[in-house]
Amino acid sequence: MKKNNIEGWLFVSPLVIWISIIILVPIYIAFELSLFNVKIIGTSGKFVGIDNYIKLFGKSKFLNASLNSFYWIIGNAICQTFFAFTIALTINYTFPGKKIITNWIILSFIIPTVVVVVIWKLMLSSSSGIINSVLIDIGILDEATGFFSSPNKAFISLVLINSWRWSPFLALIILSGLNSINREIYDASKVDGANFIQQFIFITFPNLKSVLFVLGLVGTLLSFNIFDIIWLITKGGPSSATTTLPLLIYETAFTKFRISQAATLSIVTSFLLLVFSIIFIKSMAPKEDD
Amino acid sequence: MIKENNIKLIFLSLSLLLIILIFFFPFFWIITSSFKSPEEIIATSTTIIPRSFTLEHYNKILFNSDFFIYLKNSLIVSFSSMIISIILSVSAAYGLHKLKFYGNKFVEYSLLVTYAFPGVILLVPIYLLFAKVNLLNSYFALIVVNVLFATPFAVWMLKAFFKLIPNEIEEAAYIDGASRYIVISRIIVPLAAPGIASVSIFCFIISWTEYLFASILISGDDLKTLPVGLAGIVGQYQIDWGFLLSGAVLASLPVILLFVFIGKYFVSGLTEGAVK
Repeated sequence: MKKNNIEGWLFVSPLVIWISIIILVPIYIAFELSLFNVKIIGTSGKFVGIDNYIKLFGKSKFLNASLNSFYWIIGNAICQTFFAFTIALTINYTFPGKKIITNWIILSFIIPTVVVVVIWKLMLSSSSGIINSVLIDIGILDEATGFFSSPNKAFISLVLINSWRWSPFLALIILSGLNSINREIYDASKVDGANFIQQFIFITFPNLKSVLFVLGLVGTLLSFNIFDIIWLITKGGPSSATTTLPLLIYETAFTKFRISQAATLSIVTSFLLLVFSIIFIKSMAPKEDD
Repeated sequence: MIKENNIKLIFLSLSLLLIILIFFFPFFWIITSSFKSPEEIIATSTTIIPRSFTLEHYNKILFNSDFFIYLKNSLIVSFSSMIISIILSVSAAYGLHKLKFYGNKFVEYSLLVTYAFPGVILLVPIYLLFAKVNLLNSYFALIVVNVLFATPFAVWMLKAFFKLIPNEIEEAAYIDGASRYIVISRIIVPLAAPGIASVSIFCFIISWTEYLFASILISGDDLKTLPVGLAGIVGQYQIDWGFLLSGAVLASLPVILLFVFIGKYFVSGLTEGAVK
């Protein structure tokens, strides 16, 4: 089809304008704030230049939260890839009840995050949670454990809960990639004697490239952004072990009332994510397909 | 050959069992627990089959709490966000994938990045911006934000559906003298209807589940949404589990009902609109 410059822009412009205003104006405001030392919202502060930025990099809280965010992204990527591929490959087979399972597997994604929190707070409760009593019954635990009481346990539990929420959704997107692979390639490879694992490595995986590109980019940024699950379960604790950058920003702004510091954090974080996205797109974007 | 098939079958059944256990059992658990007596919910010995049955928690939440106010707010915000999101994203997806233009790849990728970009980073400045223009404590504040979160992915989802519509159909219509408006409303939208349905439910879910901005941008009790209302109970020191669980079940009900009717479009929209 021929290029259709003016009309094309006309059709995308309402959305582009909407998004630009709601992202760019706030980022400008945040940048301005980061050069002042405003504390409580609504008060004015004095101009301090790049002071906030210099201070930020010396803060152990910032380093700690950055590291936590890094582990958070890696942990979620591993768990979600594992769960999502297991689900997608499983429901790609034919079995009785396939339709119901495929349609409803996404239940954990369509309910409010607050409900996810309620479910897992109850199931993982140290006094009456079913997980504890099952683990004791089958002999893995001697006595009930608090899943959110130690830094490591809390972090791992949160990664698992968040993966529980997102994996089915990701699985369906992977499934869309699987469906787009021509069946005949599998049949041909079978004739040539390829087994299940070889098929996965040489056919399935390479054919999922464009889907995995989107998942890698969007998935990473989305995991980074997770706030409510962590906040509503551990509030970032114990001893800041689950305070990722989003939680630190929230805390700085709305419980410590250091608005300028929070704005500085937002700017630095946006910059980091932007750099990540550009590198990711430049190096991984699939070739033009049409 | 038979051996490989057997191993496959065992693996398949095992992973199916695990999937059901991990992804479905928790729902069975909270639904049945919401009908248990308060003593049984917090009992240390767990029983899969409930021993007690009571409607007291539902009674309390329906007739003795602000549930209906929160429900109304959530419905207004989610439906408005959904409708605006669909109009904006269908138009943008049409521009991006049917009318090629200079810079369309850049717009496409930027949209993908914005899908994940906002979140908490924008929280502080958006709060200040809305305070300046007097938008705090209004439905519109939440709608503005929800549209921002929903549309980028919606455009991406629509891409697959728009690409399935052959250009020849459109071109034939133009030759017959149809205007752009006629082509979109009579050809594109009906042909992409399953895609639009699945995008609608996605936009609705995004708004329905949003917590962070709703908790900051709204402070008046009369405008709070369901997730914020529920989170208020989660945060209490002494959790009233029965109350909380029945609230959680009721807050999930509307999206589940919606899903019963158009869920299959959503899932097939995600899985069959081949992402090529």
